[in-house]
Amino acid sequence: MGGRWLFSLGAGLLIAAGSATDRSWASLRPCIPELSRSQLEPSAGQGVLLGVLGGLRTVIADVSWLRSYVLWERKEEAGCEALMRLSCTLDPNSRYFWEQAAFAVGFDMANWEIRRRGGYARLAKEIQDHLFTSYARKGILILEDGAKFSRSRAPFLIVAGQLAEMKIKDLRLAASYYRAAAESPDAPWYAARFAARTAWQAGDRKESYAWFRQHWTTTLRVRQEDRSPDDLAELRMMEDALFMPTSARIPRQAWER
Amino acid sequence: MNSAVSIRHLTKDFSVGIRGVKLRAVDDVSLEIPRGEVFGLLGPNGCGKSTTLKIALGLVRATSGSTSILGDDAASAQARRRTGFLPEAPYFHRFLTGRELVTYCARLSGVKESDLEAAVARALDLAAMSAAADRAVGTYSKGMLQRIGLAQAVVHDPELIILDEPTAGVDPVGSAAIGEMIKTMRGQGRTIVLCSHLLGQVEQVCDRIAIMDRGKVVLQGAVDEVLSRRDRHLLEVSGLTPEAEAAARRALESAGAVINSVSRPRKSLEDLFRELVTGSKDA
Amino acid sequence: MDSLRRTYWIARVTFLEAVRQRLFSFLLLLGAALAGSSVAFRFLNFGQGELKFVADFGFGIMFLFGSLLAVVMTAQLLFAELDNRTALTLLAKPVGRSEFLLGKFLGVWAVLGVFIALLCGVLGAVLLARASEVAALAEAAGRVPPQVDAGGLAVFALLQWLRLGLVAALTLLVAAGSRTFLFSVVAGMLVTLGGQLQWLAQDLLNKGDAGLMQKSLAWFATRAVPNLQQYNIGDALVLDPAGVPEGAAAAALLSGTLHLLALLAIACGIFRRREI
Ligand SMILES: Nc1ncnc2c1ncn2[C@@H]1O[C@H](COP(=O)(O)OP(=O)(O)OP(=O)(O)O)[C@@H](O)[C@H]1O
Ligand SMILES: [Mg+2]
Repeated sequence: MGGRWLFSLGAGLLIAAGSATDRSWASLRPCIPELSRSQLEPSAGQGVLLGVLGGLRTVIADVSWLRSYVLWERKEEAGCEALMRLSCTLDPNSRYFWEQAAFAVGFDMANWEIRRRGGYARLAKEIQDHLFTSYARKGILILEDGAKFSRSRAPFLIVAGQLAEMKIKDLRLAASYYRAAAESPDAPWYAARFAARTAWQAGDRKESYAWFRQHWTTTLRVRQEDRSPDDLAELRMMEDALFMPTSARIPRQAWER
Repeated sequence: MNSAVSIRHLTKDFSVGIRGVKLRAVDDVSLEIPRGEVFGLLGPNGCGKSTTLKIALGLVRATSGSTSILGDDAASAQARRRTGFLPEAPYFHRFLTGRELVTYCARLSGVKESDLEAAVARALDLAAMSAAADRAVGTYSKGMLQRIGLAQAVVHDPELIILDEPTAGVDPVGSAAIGEMIKTMRGQGRTIVLCSHLLGQVEQVCDRIAIMDRGKVVLQGAVDEVLSRRDRHLLEVSGLTPEAEAAARRALESAGAVINSVSRPRKSLEDLFRELVTGSKDA
Repeated sequence: MDSLRRTYWIARVTFLEAVRQRLFSFLLLLGAALAGSSVAFRFLNFGQGELKFVADFGFGIMFLFGSLLAVVMTAQLLFAELDNRTALTLLAKPVGRSEFLLGKFLGVWAVLGVFIALLCGVLGAVLLARASEVAALAEAAGRVPPQVDAGGLAVFALLQWLRLGLVAALTLLVAAGSRTFLFSVVAGMLVTLGGQLQWLAQDLLNKGDAGLMQKSLAWFATRAVPNLQQYNIGDALVLDPAGVPEGAAAAALLSGTLHLLALLAIACGIFRRREI
C-alpha cells in the first residue's frame, strides 16, 4: 500500500512536463491571435475571459455583435461600445468588427451624445466640434489597434483617414493616413489620389504634388497594368495649377493622349 | 502454515466526521481459520465482521495487527488469486449479462483464455444460474444477484471462498440452496468463510464459528464443541402409546437416569415453509 | 503481461458501460448534429470567411461538449464502481489498484477518442464540401480560394484527444481522493478551468519584470497544471497551416503526454491509499 515511488515519479514527470510546456507554449502562442492582443495591453479580466471561452471565442464574438446591433439602434452608447469591443477582443482577426466598431464610435456616437445633451440647435458649436473630434479620435484608436492583427493595413488606414477628414476636419492628419494606406502593399487604387487631394486642400500644394509624382513614378506606373492614366491626368491638373514650366513637368508618356 | 486465514491482534479505527473522532470497528481480533473447513463469523449488526473480512482481503488498511491468507500477505495479488469473495449486498455491472460478468471476473482473476468457457459454465452451473445467464444483471432479483455473486467468486477455482452474508434477502428455499452449494464446495476441499445472521443455517453448515461483539471476538471454537450439552440426551420416538411411555419411564429410572421432560418436537417454521413451497421462480 | 491484460479488460468494460449509457450517445448525437449544422448558423457570421466560422463553431462545440463529457464521464464511471461497490468485487481479485484506475482512464479515453473522431469527421466533411463551393465563387471573383488542410485536421484531432485526456486525468486525480461524485465533478471542472487559464502564469514566468515571489508561484502553477490553451489552434492548423511553426504541434504533444503520465502516476498513488 506504499506507492511513494508513484508520487516521486509523478513529481519528476511534472517538472519535465513543465519545462516541455515552457518550450511548446513559446512556439504556439503566436498562433493564437486573441491572446497576443492581451499581451499588448495586459488585463487580467480579459485574459480570464479568453481562457474560459477557449474554442468558443468566435461564436461568442458573433453573438455579442448581434446584441450590439440592438443597442446601436437604441443609441445606448456605453453598452454598444463595450459589446463591439468585446467582439473585437474575442475575434481580432475579423476586419469587419474593427471597421464597424470604429464607424459606430467615430461617426455615430458623437451625434447621439449631442442629441442627449439637448440637440444641435441648443448645444454650443464649440462643444459639438469638440465632441465630434474626441469621438473620431477614439474611432481612430480602435482602427490602429485592429490594424495590428491584420495582414492588410490599408483598409484600416483609409477609414482612419475618413474620420480625420470628415469629423476631426484635420486634412493634414487625414492626408497622412491616406498616404500610409497608399504606401502599403495592398493599397486600393484610390488611396494615392485621396492622399494627394487632401494634402492639396490643406494647402500643402507643392508637397502634395511632389509626393504624388514620386509615388506615381515609382509605384503606380509600375504596379498598375494600365499605368494609371487617371492619376497622371490628376498630376497634370496639379502641374497646370502650379504653373510649372514644361521642363519641370513629368515627361510626356508615349501612351498619353 | 496450515491456516487458510490467520488474523493476529487486528485493530481498526475509522475516523468519522470532520473532526476525525476515532471509531474502533475491530478491537484486537485474533482468528485462525483452518483449511478445508466452513467457518462462520457471527455477531450483531455493526460488530465489525465485514470490516475484518475487508482487511483480510487488503481492501481496507489495518490500524495495527497482521493478516495472512493461505500463507501470503493479505494485500498481495498472490493471495487474492487463490481467494474468491462475495461482498455483502452485492451489486454488479448492470449493463452486462450474467455470463459476461462472470467471464469478465474470470479474466481479471487470471483464468486462461483456453479454460475460460468451461470455467464460466461450471461456475454458473454451481450457482444454478445457467438458465438466466444471458439476461442483463440489471434485471436480476435479489436472490439471483447473490447467486451470480457466488458464481463470480468461484469461477477461478479458488482455494478460499469468503462469503459476506450470502443469504441476505434470499428466501428460505434459496438460502437452503446456497447452504447446499456451500456444502458442495467444502466437499471439493475448499475453505469457506461465511458471515450470516441465519443462525440455524450457520449451525447446519459450519464446522467452526466465532462470535464477535463490539469489535471483539467473544467466543470461537468447533460447532459441536460449542453447542453440545454433554449432560443431556434426546430420544426421538414414534408410536409412543401411554403404556409404552410408562414402561420406558420405569426402565430408564430403574437404570438410574433422570427424565427432565417429555414433549412433542415441533416442526420449525422453516421446515414447514420448505415443505409447502416448491421453490422460487428464479431457481 | 497479465497486468496489461487486466488493465485492458477493465478499460474495455468501462468503454462498454459508457457506450451503453444514454448520456454518451446523446452528447455524441448532439455534438455531431451541432458541428454538422454549423453551416446553418452562418447567419451569425460577420465578415470572417465562411470556412473560418464553420471551423470555429465546430471546434468550439468540440471543446465545450468534450470537456463536459470528459469531466462528467470520468467521475461517473469511477463513482459508479465505488458507490455500487462493484470496485469491492474487482479489487478483491488479483487486480492492482493502479491497474483498476488506469483501466478506468483508458476506457474513458477511448470513448473520448470516438467522440473526437466522429466530430472531426463530420466537421471535416462539412468543411471540405463548403470549401469546394466557396473556392468556385472565389475563383470567379478573382480571389485566392481558401484551403482546407485534412492533415492539419488530423493533427488537431490528435491534439484535442490529448487535451481531453488531460481533462479526464485531472478529474481522475481529484476523484481518486474524493468521497463524492458531485465534488469530483465540480472540482474537476474548476481544475479544467485552471488549465484553460494556466497560460497567464506561463506568460508571467516568461515576463522579464515579474518579482521573484511571483515567478516562483508561476513556476509551481505551470508545473502542477497542464496548459490546455496550447491545443486551441484548430483554425490555424486546418485553414492556415503555414502559420503554425514547424514542430510546434509535436512540442505540444510531448508536453501534454508528459503531463498526462505525471497526473496518472499521482492519481494511482492517491488511489492506492484509498479505503474501498
Ligand atoms: N468506511 C467506514 N467509515 C467509518 N465507519 C465505518 C466504515 N465502515 C464501517 N464502519 C463502522 O465500523 C463498524 C463495523 O462495521 P461492519 O460493516 O464491519 O459491521 P458488520 O459486523 O459487518 O455489520 P452488519 O452485520 O450490519 O453487516 C460499524 O460501526 C460501522 O459503522
Ligand atoms: Mg457486514
